[in-house]
Amino acid sequence: METAEAEAMSEQAASLELHGVSRRFGGLQALSDVSFSVQEGEIFGLIGPNGAGKTTLFNLLSGVTPPTSGMIRWRGKRCHGLSPDALNRLGIARTFQNLRLFGELTVLENVLVALHHQAGAQLEPQALALLEELDLAHLADRRADELAYGNRRRLEIARALATKPTLLLLDEPAAGMNPSEKDQLCDLLAEMRQRHQLTLIVIEHHVPLLMQLCHRMAVLDFGRLIALGSPEQIRTNPRVIEAYLGGAR
Amino acid sequence: MPDNGLLVQMILGALLGLSVYLPMAAGQLSLATPAFYAVGGTLAALMATHADHQGTISLGAVLWEMVVAGALTAALATLVGLPVLRLRGIYLAIATIALVEIVRVAILNLPFTGGATGIFGIPQPFHHPLGYITLSGGLLALCGWAFQRLETSRLGRAMAAIRDDELATRCMGINTTRVKLSAFVASAVLAGVTGVIAAHYLNTWNARQGSFDVAITTLAFVILGGSRSWLGPVIGGLLLTALPELLRPVGDLRLVLFGLVILLGPVFFPQGLITPALLEKLGRWKLRRLKP
Amino acid sequence: MSAALLQILLNGAASGGVYALVALGYTLIFSVLGVINFAQGALFSLGGYLTFLLMGGRIGVNGALPGWHLPVALPFWMALLLAAIGAGVVALLVERVAFAPLRRRGADPLLSLITSLGAGVVLVNLLQILMGAEGYAFPAGAAALEGLPEALLIGGARIRTVQVVLLLISAGAVAALTVWLERSRTGQAMRAVAEDPTAARLMGIHSGAIVRLAFLLSGMLAGLGGGLIGLSVSLAGPYFGISFGLKGLAVLVLGGLGSVPGAIAGGLLMGLAEALIPSAASGWRDALAFAVLFAVLVLRPSGLLGRRLQEKV
Repeated sequence: METAEAEAMSEQAASLELHGVSRRFGGLQALSDVSFSVQEGEIFGLIGPNGAGKTTLFNLLSGVTPPTSGMIRWRGKRCHGLSPDALNRLGIARTFQNLRLFGELTVLENVLVALHHQAGAQLEPQALALLEELDLAHLADRRADELAYGNRRRLEIARALATKPTLLLLDEPAAGMNPSEKDQLCDLLAEMRQRHQLTLIVIEHHVPLLMQLCHRMAVLDFGRLIALGSPEQIRTNPRVIEAYLGGAR
Repeated sequence: MPDNGLLVQMILGALLGLSVYLPMAAGQLSLATPAFYAVGGTLAALMATHADHQGTISLGAVLWEMVVAGALTAALATLVGLPVLRLRGIYLAIATIALVEIVRVAILNLPFTGGATGIFGIPQPFHHPLGYITLSGGLLALCGWAFQRLETSRLGRAMAAIRDDELATRCMGINTTRVKLSAFVASAVLAGVTGVIAAHYLNTWNARQGSFDVAITTLAFVILGGSRSWLGPVIGGLLLTALPELLRPVGDLRLVLFGLVILLGPVFFPQGLITPALLEKLGRWKLRRLKP
Repeated sequence: MSAALLQILLNGAASGGVYALVALGYTLIFSVLGVINFAQGALFSLGGYLTFLLMGGRIGVNGALPGWHLPVALPFWMALLLAAIGAGVVALLVERVAFAPLRRRGADPLLSLITSLGAGVVLVNLLQILMGAEGYAFPAGAAALEGLPEALLIGGARIRTVQVVLLLISAGAVAALTVWLERSRTGQAMRAVAEDPTAARLMGIHSGAIVRLAFLLSGMLAGLGGGLIGLSVSLAGPYFGISFGLKGLAVLVLGGLGSVPGAIAGGLLMGLAEALIPSAASGWRDALAFAVLFAVLVLRPSGLLGRRLQEKV
């Protein structure tokens, strides 16, 4: 993604705003004073070493845990302190790093559950259309816990999309996928964003994939935001190289 | 072949099994069924003995008692369920055992519930067990229809999802508290209504009808029958209610054998008698019959 | 302090001590396995009846062998100890039949709730067949209290000697268990298993043996409680342990599942609270434990001294 385009993005009115967001677990400061904003329609990457607080940030954004302090807004509406279901109804959906499918239910039922609030007596056609999009329709009657890993990841995405989100949080969507699956996922996510008019925030360990996909990225280290900018800016940021890329190599 | 009286008890057992199954279908181990069963039974006993029925009562009056019992248990379950359903797993089980004990002691000590001996001479709407079989069997059939529909409904799917992973369900935008409360309230209403029928059928009602023992027995209906489909608790309730009667020839040993069934059942049939695999087979068999 | 209040406190502490015994029994098993052994109440009954028989008590007319008695008549202390061991051994059997098969299969831990209830039902009904449903009072002038006055005057309060014995024995058992858990190698191993079973296994602690030990000890505690209540009140039929088992459960939650100091504090608190209920309302006394339990669960689900649980996402 071009730097110019990324800058143009950051000048638009922010849709997701975080101001001084912190989270403490007992003696552990998991996130401290994190502030940034994400524009509507943006694909935003979140990277950082293990334990940097990426998933904690997702948990705050999705209401799984409340922030200890700070403020979160999505499209001008207050998000901090709301429950996961209330936030989902505000348009925020997520997937889970360690996959939390309804293993006892079929693939189709997993998506039907997520269609709970959609109108219409016939939910099956909607669910099947989503499964079709994610290339899972042929597995509709299989139990979710019988699926191969890559398919489970895609089912998590299908299920999140079924709640008709405007902001989709993807926690390591490519984990456990092989290179060709990762490439496909990349294309798929870009396409999804277009078709469903999504704003995407993606946590991913596979940094090259993220750099290829995202407009802008944020880097967390020990619960602090240490860099924010276009993939190019991140790639050349000395603090990031030191804290993250440097440590990895 | 079980006699008519036993058949009534078996059907009542199946209804109570369904009552325990409902919260469990939403992943909640609640043992509160005997508490609401006792409330329903006591209410029916009080209503029926206070009005002047001279030993007999119209079916309409009994149905009215069922409506009142349903409303009362629904209100009670909402009141209790809101705080209690925040608890998980064994904590919820213990809290509901506490509820059962509180209700039992209350019925034992309240000035108008007859103390330890209870309430006698509850008038009968029917003079023959066949009447009770029709009434309770009709209710069971109605439940079967409703449960079958529930399984493919939004609410039923949300319940199954919560049973699997409550947090993920919440992240799908589902207000899980409301879903769990619906299941809990429906369970209470079913138990309360069943209590009304039981009170008339038994002719007498006391605090022991809703004790911890009943919590165990009704839970066993679900666990041994199978907790993955509504058919499980129905089969479990029917069989396990009949069992002590069928074991009557062995005399005092029957309760020991009953205990052994509860003890060994989960060891040998961890999924209960009605397993998902069995249901699948049944489903395929049905399909084959439909497609000649 | 007024004598009346002191009397209430001592009575409360005495029954609270027994509640603590039962709750500790649950705690031991809960902390190593994360499950509740619902046969605990039946083991409590068993302890009471074993003590009675070992003291030379006769089986009543409704029992399987009316008039039969053991050829021995042990003093209370010894009968109590042997009965506790007997209940402990039966607890091992319960583990074998109701818990071990499920654990080996990695089954839903909630299933063991049912199987242990089943074990309890079997036990209680075997007792009923053997002893009949009637109540038993311990042989008059139970050897334990020979030579002791019926009641003691403590600070102006009249308290039955039995209650003092009850309090002393349960306090002693609780203290011994606590010290043992803290100090001994095995006790430390048990706490290690409770903290983290996998890590404990890596450290070479044989968790199977620890689990069995937990059952043995918890059965002994229940048996001890049954014998003590049998002595101070009576054996009110084979089901009498069940209600103590249920109250122990309330105490367990009150103190916080898996917390040893919590079980002790919860037991004492419950005993005192019950003792404070005026006798006019004694019928409601049995509901108190559960009302308190209910309130605690709703206000503070982790119990008074329990750890808060956090779900990992």
